[in-house]
Amino acid sequence: MSDVDRPIAGSPAGNIYDLGYRHYEGKRHGRWYSAWALYVDSLRGIWGFGRPMSAKAAPFILAGLYAFAALIQLAFSSAFSQAVRTEGTTAGLFTYGNYFNRLWIFVLLFCVAQAPEVVCRDQRYRVLTLYFTRALGRVDYALVRLASLASALLIVLLVPMIVLFIGDVLMGADMFVAAADELPKALPAIPADLLVASGMAAISLGLSAYSPRRAYAAIGLLAYFLLMEAVPSIIYSVGAEAGWTWSDKLALTTPITGLDAATNWFFGVPLNPSYPVTLGSDAYVVASVLGVLVFATVLVSRYRRISA
Amino acid sequence: MALIEASGLTKHYGQVKALEKLDLAVEPGIIGLVGANGAGKSTLLKILLGLLPPTSGRVSVLGMDAVTQARDIRQVVGYMPEHDCLPPDVGATEFVTHMARVSGLSRTAARERTAEVLRHVGLYEERYRQIGGYSTGMKQRVKLAQALVHDPMLLLLDEPTNGLDPTGRDEMLDLIKRTGSDFGISVVMASHLLGEIEQVCGYLLAIDAGHLLQSAPISTFTQRTAVLAVEVEEGADLLAEVLARRGFKTRQDATRVLLALEDEALYDAIRDSVADLGLALVRIQQERGRLEDIFREAAPIAGGVQ
Repeated sequence: MSDVDRPIAGSPAGNIYDLGYRHYEGKRHGRWYSAWALYVDSLRGIWGFGRPMSAKAAPFILAGLYAFAALIQLAFSSAFSQAVRTEGTTAGLFTYGNYFNRLWIFVLLFCVAQAPEVVCRDQRYRVLTLYFTRALGRVDYALVRLASLASALLIVLLVPMIVLFIGDVLMGADMFVAAADELPKALPAIPADLLVASGMAAISLGLSAYSPRRAYAAIGLLAYFLLMEAVPSIIYSVGAEAGWTWSDKLALTTPITGLDAATNWFFGVPLNPSYPVTLGSDAYVVASVLGVLVFATVLVSRYRRISA
Repeated sequence: MALIEASGLTKHYGQVKALEKLDLAVEPGIIGLVGANGAGKSTLLKILLGLLPPTSGRVSVLGMDAVTQARDIRQVVGYMPEHDCLPPDVGATEFVTHMARVSGLSRTAARERTAEVLRHVGLYEERYRQIGGYSTGMKQRVKLAQALVHDPMLLLLDEPTNGLDPTGRDEMLDLIKRTGSDFGISVVMASHLLGEIEQVCGYLLAIDAGHLLQSAPISTFTQRTAVLAVEVEEGADLLAEVLARRGFKTRQDATRVLLALEDEALYDAIRDSVADLGLALVRIQQERGRLEDIFREAAPIAGGVQ
């Protein structure tokens, strides 16, 4: 054995490959790249990638449950006649326009489970300091987090739409003709679901950001969404009896009903008769967009003030 | 280019005066920022990062204004906060890579730098495990790694040895020293322990209740009280006596004779005296004066610096 092979006394074995500290000479990207890096990480985090298996359970199960009905319909689609499928709603089948209306609870649970994850973790473990001491600004941080949750929700919402579309195309006598027929009906799902995803994400993060504790944020979210569904409809019902002229406007403040009614505008279908008939679906679109802006402002103002 | 320059830097939180008219001009190197708890160390670091706006006064870091060019400063500065700042549910590699990307490094560069930096701070097999299961020492290493991963020009460390056991403390200090001397990265290290500053830093900034107490190279403190310790096997008392007769200031400490090193002739005197007395000389060692002693006589710090 030569002297060279013998480990030098006092130097740990790990140092054999130690080339010493090397400076980084490469390109340093700026603010937008930082924002993009956070967006990607945030989206991965929502779906539990790079986290333990248990973190993947909630998002995938909830997204799966939301898409489940569409899959069942796809599985049995051969049993339906063309006539039944075109009737859609009346036959009790799912269409692009009524899917969220019936199964929104899973989307809400997805928000309750994952929105606190997006904003509470960094506050509770004080990771925010590390972000704010980099090129990323406070407002950038808030908006990137919002965009990532909205994107995750958009995925959740669009998967069953795609499944429904596949089902309809496969059942057509000629697939190309069927696709051409179905596409105009399916495409409004994209802007409609974008609005729903933005709305749910803005409300969820705007509220969650005020609690560093996940559990409190989740309870707060659930309370807000469910109570804001119930309370305006009570007042509206009372108002309808008493002949109040203003009470129907309250329907615009319901988060889920409001967003669902707004989607009707994109699909060009009539409003659900249980909603105030005095309002058109365009009013709900305006209210939903305003809602997104209000809650995004609430979220941003939280991060403007939060101490790092 | 000066590392940090400040003039009339003042920060008030309502009635509380955290920093009061601070004037600084610090050159690159390893700088110790010392002061009792609540003296304004963390506030100063946060102002340097542009996280807090100063109430009045001007401050620049690496020639950039901390208020108007905060974003540019943060690109080239690494910060290790005093408090915990790591999410528990990801591995060190995953987290540090992410932080590297947020600092503007491309995906490949981020991976390479993460692997290198984690090795430098001494995290090996455990780097894929979740941070939640790490010891305090390992967490401190990850915190340092995320501050170093984008190869900053300046590293701001707030109480980097917080919560570490004596071994971990020494390892962390050694790491900081290497970062400053071998990697060529300037370091500002805030601590309330003078001993740590003495061990690592070349320059000392002392603040107390928001006022600047001292700003000078550490050597100016230690030179003033350079002490030569002469250790002999026996007969230290004789040696002390002989040297005292020759006109040197001596003090005996068990088998050692401590001498004030004021004159080069001392070395010859020691040699001659030891030879004349026929003593067994063990070692002659120059001791640095204890910084805290000097500190206490120079300016007593209210609140008690340890």
